[in-house]
Amino acid sequence: MNKRNLLGLAVCLASTSAMALEPGDYRFNGFGTAAITHLGGAGDAKGYGIQGQTTDAWRGDQLSKLGGQLSYGVADRLSATIQTVAKAEQDQWGLEVEWAYLAYQLNNQVTLRAGRLRPGAFMFSETLDVGYAYPWLRLPDEVYSQMPVSNYEGVDALYSLPVSVGTLNFQVSYGQATDREVFIHGLDGPLDVDFKEVVTGSVSLATMNLGTLRYSYTESDLNLELFGKFKGKFESVGHQYDNGSWLTNAEAIKRQSPLGTIESFYLMAGHRFGDYLPHVTYAQWDEKGEPGRQSSWAYGLNYSLTPSVTLKGEYKRVESTRGFSGGFVPDFSVADRTFDGDIISIGADFIF
Amino acid sequence: MNSFMHRTFAIAMLSLSATLVQAEVAVIVNPSAANAPSQAEVANIFLGKDKSLSGVDQKDWNPTKDKFYTSVANKNESQLKSYWSGLIFTGKGQPLPSVGDDTAVLAKVAAEADAIGYVDSSVVTDQVKVLFTLP
Repeated sequence: MNKRNLLGLAVCLASTSAMALEPGDYRFNGFGTAAITHLGGAGDAKGYGIQGQTTDAWRGDQLSKLGGQLSYGVADRLSATIQTVAKAEQDQWGLEVEWAYLAYQLNNQVTLRAGRLRPGAFMFSETLDVGYAYPWLRLPDEVYSQMPVSNYEGVDALYSLPVSVGTLNFQVSYGQATDREVFIHGLDGPLDVDFKEVVTGSVSLATMNLGTLRYSYTESDLNLELFGKFKGKFESVGHQYDNGSWLTNAEAIKRQSPLGTIESFYLMAGHRFGDYLPHVTYAQWDEKGEPGRQSSWAYGLNYSLTPSVTLKGEYKRVESTRGFSGGFVPDFSVADRTFDGDIISIGADFIF
Repeated sequence: MNSFMHRTFAIAMLSLSATLVQAEVAVIVNPSAANAPSQAEVANIFLGKDKSLSGVDQKDWNPTKDKFYTSVANKNESQLKSYWSGLIFTGKGQPLPSVGDDTAVLAKVAAEADAIGYVDSSVVTDQVKVLFTLP
C-alpha cells in the first residue's frame, strides 16, 4: 500500500514537470503571413494603414510577416522563450523581439513569467502577428488600431482554475514600455511615447459548449511627445465560439484618455464547408463628441490548403460619415476628411 | 422465427458489430485511474486545459487521431493546429507529448497511472481500462 502511494506520488511529480519543457529540451516553431493588400477609395493617396503606411497601390509589406520562436528548458519547471518577428512598420522592414521571457511553472495551475511580454489588452493582442490563429488576414481595424502597445517589459502571472462549466483563466501583468513610437494619423507621423505602470488584468471562461467569454482591463501612465503625461484606460469584452462548423468572434472595446474616448466593436460569423470558410464581419468605431462614425463590412473566404497553410481572401468596405476621420485619413487638414474605401487583401497564413 | 434463425441472426449481428468495433476508437486509461472523465473533460485534457490526467497523443495524423479529435473536440487537423498555435506563440501551452502508434500509446497508458490515450479499439487489452468508445 505504502509502495503504491509512493509510486503514485512519483508519477504525479513526474507528470507535473512533464507539462513544461524538460531541462535541455528545446522547441522551435514558426509562423508567417504572405499577403498583398490594396486600399483604394475616394482619393487613394490619403489611405493609411494601421501602422501608418501609405497604401496607394498593391502592397506586400502591410500584412506580410515572418516569426520564429525558440523555447528552451533551462531547469526543472523553468523555461526560456524568445520570439522575433520580421515585419514592416511605417514603410520600414525591421526585426522586432516581441517576446523574450523566463517562465516558471509553479504547479499545474500557476505560471509566472518575467521579461518582454505582450499585454493581453484585447482578445487577439497576444496573437496579433499569428494570422494562422485567427480567421482574418486583417484584424478588424476599428478595434485593433486602438491597441495601446504591442509589448512591454515586466512580469505576469497566469492562473487556470477548472470549474464545473469549463475552465476559468486569470492573467495579471505589470510592466512598462519606454521609448516606443506610435503613429498619429492626425499628425501624419510617429511620436515618441513612454508607457509606465502598464497594468493588465483579464479573466476568461472557456466553457465546454458555449465558447469562451473574456474581459480585460488595462491601465497605463503615458508620456506622449507634444501631449505630455496622462492616464489611459483600455477595456475589452469579447466572445469566441467554434463548434467545428460554425465560428463566431465578437469584441467591444473602450479606450479612454484625455485625448478622447473611443468605443468600437466587431461581430464576425463564419461557417465551414469542408476546407472552405466563408465569413462576414461588421465593425464600428465611435468617438465621444464626434457626430460621425466609421463602419465597415468585411467579406472573407478562407481555404485550408494544407493543415499548416490557409489561403485567405478578403474584401472590406469602409465608410466614415459626417466628417469623422476614423483610421484611414492621415491629416485633419485635407479637404475631405471622411473615407469611403475598398480594401482588398489576398494571401496565405502558415505555421511551421 | 425459429430458434435456428434466431441464432443465425444473432451471430450475423454479432459479427457485424465486431467489424464495426474494428473501426472504433477507444479512449483508455490506466486500470488504477481513480476517476473516469467525461467526453467533454477528455477533450479539455487533450486541448491542454485540464491537467488532472496526462494525455498521450499520437504523433502523426492518422485515421484514429482524426476520428478522436473530430468527435471529441470538433476539430480537424488544421483547426487543431490553429488552436495550438494560439497557445504556443503566447507561451500558454505546448502540445502534449506524443508517441508513434496505437501500441505505443497502449504501452504508455498501461505503464503510467495518470496517463490517458486513445487507440483503435482492436488493440485494446486488459492492461488498460476503456473509458468509452467513439463509433
